[in-house]
Amino acid sequence: MAKITPSFEIEVETIDNDHRRLVDFTNQITAAIDDQQYAECARLVPDFIALSKRHFAREEALLDKFDYPGIDQHRQHHAGLDDKMETMLTLAGRVEDNRLARETLRREVFFFLMDDVINEDMDFKKFLVDARSKEK
Amino acid sequence: MQGLHMVAVHHAYGSTAVLNNISFTVPAGELVCLLGPSGCGKTTLLRIAAGMERLQAGSVIIDEEVVADATIHVPPEERRIGYMFQDYALFPHLSVLDNVTFGLFRRDRVTAKERAMEMLDQVGMARHAARFPHMLSGGQQQRVALARALAPEPRLFLLDEPFSGLDTGMRSRVRAETLAVLKRNNVATLMVTHDPQEAMFMADRIKVMGANGRILQTGAPADIYHKPVDEYVAHLFGDMNMFEARVEHGQLISSFGAIAADAAVEGTIVRVLIRPEGMTLSNTDGSNTDGGGPQGGGALVDILSAHLLGNSSLVRFRVRDGINGGAEFHVRVPGSFDLTEIGPIWARVDPDHIFLYPLA
Repeated sequence: MAKITPSFEIEVETIDNDHRRLVDFTNQITAAIDDQQYAECARLVPDFIALSKRHFAREEALLDKFDYPGIDQHRQHHAGLDDKMETMLTLAGRVEDNRLARETLRREVFFFLMDDVINEDMDFKKFLVDARSKEK
Repeated sequence: MQGLHMVAVHHAYGSTAVLNNISFTVPAGELVCLLGPSGCGKTTLLRIAAGMERLQAGSVIIDEEVVADATIHVPPEERRIGYMFQDYALFPHLSVLDNVTFGLFRRDRVTAKERAMEMLDQVGMARHAARFPHMLSGGQQQRVALARALAPEPRLFLLDEPFSGLDTGMRSRVRAETLAVLKRNNVATLMVTHDPQEAMFMADRIKVMGANGRILQTGAPADIYHKPVDEYVAHLFGDMNMFEARVEHGQLISSFGAIAADAAVEGTIVRVLIRPEGMTLSNTDGSNTDGGGPQGGGALVDILSAHLLGNSSLVRFRVRDGINGGAEFHVRVPGSFDLTEIGPIWARVDPDHIFLYPLA
């Protein structure tokens, strides 16, 4: 089960809240697979993707506001996740009757959450915390 | 969360940064592979995870326990980690069974022996339990090392170039067996290798590391192979052909004809990379193609050489004329390629297999 421990907090409320909601989605998707609630799983994945996209937009706006020097790189990283999100949507459509799709989806959702969303955001944690404290 | 989490790890030797703000996760039951050239910092990361190298900045978490951060350093022997390295490091004076039992000192003799035999059975070495390491082949020693490392039920398993001491045939067999055992034991595994094929075979997720101590790309093996983020990553996974093309009206213009390229910037010259299996040779030009196959008429080429590699051949050719005239390429074709029976040959590019990068 995924959860946000203090080590994974960015210390920016909006971003951490998004991460928590994405973690909740990940756990719900995993539980739906475990409980063989495949229709529920197929319903959750598009919502998970939609929230991820909104999160990326919010994050980019915030980084833009504080002139984060690595913003182009981070935008590129987000853009590069389109294929992975498409893959998860495709897998979600196949969970009903395909064991490999279920296993792959479970793995991809978790790696996406941890590596592509949360761990990547660690890159700008220090910058953002410093920038916000100067603002105060 | 079960597994290994390395968060914002930074490490330097003197003034030289070898790891630059690295964060990643290895969930329980998954195998993550760090792939990169010598000196990119991948072994340092492994040593930091193990506790053999003291963490300078960031944190290391195993199964929700912080084992290293600014104030904490849990010593390696208390982290419950299994290791397997290139040299199997078996004790030469102990039998196979005693080697595997060695790490089970917290258990009583009977349960330790039962667990050791269970692991030897898993790796197919139970019948060799009474033998000594010098009586075993390299592959067998590797299996014993695997059994020994997994016997104490580690919460994290670390592999550092574990198969590089084995010959080619043995290597593929042992790594397949190792992967099966790791999956059966549901352990989070971090592996370091410089061998892309090994990474692709073993990993659920590959992290490609660059010389700057950063992770260049993360993804499932197929993601990285089919969508390399840059030329460096593309080259890392095998031979590449390269040519330049001009972007006009959403198409790449080259000796190989017009190829759809929506993502390229109009009016620029781009570098096109394509793997040998993404090109085809035929003895007809493509002017009558119906669009179902590779686009464009293809380039008229001269065959330079053909090498049979078993079930395929590697054929080298040179483009006769056009923008890429004189450039040499290689293509992989199924079966053997008969150099004596050929007339004019055209080479074509499969647009689904090209990678475009701006000219540096």
